[in-house]
Amino acid sequence: VTLRFSIDAAAAGGTDEMVALLRESIERYTADNYSFEQRWAALRSAHRYSEKAWSDYAALGWLALRLPEDSGGLAARATATAPLMEAVGAKLLLEPILASVILCTGLVLKRASASQRSEILPRLADGSLRLALAHQESLQAGAPTSCACEYRRGVLYGNKVAVLHGDCADQFIVSAKNIDAGGKLSLFLVDATAPGVACRAFPLLDGRGAANLSFAGAAAQSFEPAALDADAEALAECMQEAAVALCSEAFGVIRVLNATTLQYLKVRKQFGKAIGSNQALQHRMVEMYMLEQEVRAFTLSAQRALQAGEDGRARIISGARAFTCGAVRHVAAEAVQMHGGIGITDELDVSHYYRRAQVLGTLFGNRDFHLARFGVPRHS
Amino acid sequence: MSADVWQRAEQLRGEIREFVRTSMPSDILRKSSQHLTLNKDEYVRWMQALQSRGWAVGHWPSEYGGLGWSTLERFVFEDELGRAGCPWIIPFGVKYVGPVIYTFGSEAQKERFLPPIVTAQEWWAQGYSEPGAGSDLSGLRTTAIRDGDHYIVNGQKAWTTYAQWADWMFCLVRTSREERPQQGISFLLIDMRSTGVSVQPVRTMDMCHHVNEVWLQNVRVPVANRVGAEGDGWALARFLLVNERTYGSGLGESKFALERLEALAAKQNNAALRARIVELDLRLLALECVSYQTLADMMTGVETGGEASLLKVRASEMYQDILEATVDALGYAGIAFDAETLHGEAPPPLGPDDAGGIVRYHLYNRAATIYGGSAEIQRNIIAKSVLGL
Repeated sequence: VTLRFSIDAAAAGGTDEMVALLRESIERYTADNYSFEQRWAALRSAHRYSEKAWSDYAALGWLALRLPEDSGGLAARATATAPLMEAVGAKLLLEPILASVILCTGLVLKRASASQRSEILPRLADGSLRLALAHQESLQAGAPTSCACEYRRGVLYGNKVAVLHGDCADQFIVSAKNIDAGGKLSLFLVDATAPGVACRAFPLLDGRGAANLSFAGAAAQSFEPAALDADAEALAECMQEAAVALCSEAFGVIRVLNATTLQYLKVRKQFGKAIGSNQALQHRMVEMYMLEQEVRAFTLSAQRALQAGEDGRARIISGARAFTCGAVRHVAAEAVQMHGGIGITDELDVSHYYRRAQVLGTLFGNRDFHLARFGVPRHS
Repeated sequence: MSADVWQRAEQLRGEIREFVRTSMPSDILRKSSQHLTLNKDEYVRWMQALQSRGWAVGHWPSEYGGLGWSTLERFVFEDELGRAGCPWIIPFGVKYVGPVIYTFGSEAQKERFLPPIVTAQEWWAQGYSEPGAGSDLSGLRTTAIRDGDHYIVNGQKAWTTYAQWADWMFCLVRTSREERPQQGISFLLIDMRSTGVSVQPVRTMDMCHHVNEVWLQNVRVPVANRVGAEGDGWALARFLLVNERTYGSGLGESKFALERLEALAAKQNNAALRARIVELDLRLLALECVSYQTLADMMTGVETGGEASLLKVRASEMYQDILEATVDALGYAGIAFDAETLHGEAPPPLGPDDAGGIVRYHLYNRAATIYGGSAEIQRNIIAKSVLGL
């Protein structure tokens, strides 16, 4: 695996104007509208996120990032959404950005027919359509490549678990064995309100919503008919995009927790001096700093590997994801510990980052899953 | 610029691979890849083999005989050699004192000292640490008292690597007592054949002779051998230490060691060892990412100041863990240790041919988190200079 792209892209990276503008727009908006205090109301609302923020995102063009220019989008590659995912972590955004804007939008762009695109894309851009990816069936936090759900004669049967934002999505993209086409893994669009769809909604640890879904003969729409395994390939690519996006989210969480904890070490006094004057705590803070640097570098490498479609990308991406999961959990635990008693309260943002770290470290494949994937011997 | 820089570095990578295949003295490569000790003659031949391509001082400016390498080329150079199991690039002349002399030295000093460094004809030692000045280097007590055109130097240097082979030693000495310990230090070049210099071997726990105590008793050193102004030694010392740390990520060496460990593990059906290797492999890839990111940041001038310390801490601790796992994987061959076999004349008492060398190197590398600023000092540096704690 060569990391040559690191230098190339880093040297050129500063000139990527669109990404810089996006970053600026996100920072400005969230600073004014998405403080920890402002977020409380969203946590308690019906969809467990802010409808207002969601429509603001649409107005700011964030929901159309990946869409082609003729649909009013910016035609950004999956990796250009990194600043948005970083903000999802840094500001603990609750809206369905990963599920709808990145993953499902990606699948639609890869697999939808022309007529499906013309119907779906404008509604994705204006925020009136929220999609959720219904793929997970077991409790094991992996990125499954097969499933038990079945599609027969135009309808779906089976169960999905813990579908992120499944509680509020308008439509699901569901993975299932297509019995009509020899049982190959395929993707289907299903309306959330279609007869035969049952939904058990619940909150995740970080306050976002999810749902367990059952399909008992629910009407489902295929994507563009294609030979071979186009859907399975799109889904595998989507899982890689999820892993890389979650690295960015983890980086956002780490960045904020490190800044918050460092500040606390400087202002919190015990025994008549700042607690940060203790070398034991300094060295633990340094470990958090080093992890932040490593996560940043690893995430950039994974983004570039994904973007360049390199042969060795699966290994770099799973490596980045495994490393990042470990790092974000460590940083979050240390942040709680160094804040002392206040760190475990619901009132302080630190505990919310801690809970988000656990959720983001589990979605679409946790550390153990990606470590096993990373560890497959290269030369065997 | 960046594509061009990359292209030259990749071209160099190819040339180095070709050099290792075709021009590397095979007796030396066999010993170094088995972590056996090299003698002075072998090290000199190694350095001269590198210099036959101009690489020993490739990072020097061309006016002093270098190739004016970019930071990236310098990194790739060390990465590739380490990956191939090549010997240590003896740093004292080419990496440490050479750049100090061409940056701070007089014309006469450049003329006298640089050419024999380039050709590996003079061996240098580093006179920094003292019994009372290790991590706290500014606590050094060796004195140099002015006597006409000379300094009279008295004191003791410690952990002086390969002083037994050295022709010259660059040395930090105290030329005056000032308020702050970092003041009043000067940088002297001392001829090891001077009267009053004595070298006492110190055997390390790998049962080999790498380091020494160097005693300086009324040693007369010409004032002309002082580099920089009197009392400016600390600035030169820091310049040198930063050079020492910046390129110290040892990525290639770690890859070489991890591949060896993987080869040993492939012959065993041990899930725990396998899991340990995967964790090490992940740390190695993280180090690779952060190394290249640091290079990119250096080349675009957006460093935070903690990079060198981060790389040193991560690389040295990981390398120790790789060697520890390798010794474990060797099983009983990991506790068999016949020091007589560490120089390449006879195979080790148990295990593969490199078993003895691996055990030795594992022992010697306990020093990696101690020298050049211990892991704790590196963490202090980040805490203070980057985090403001």
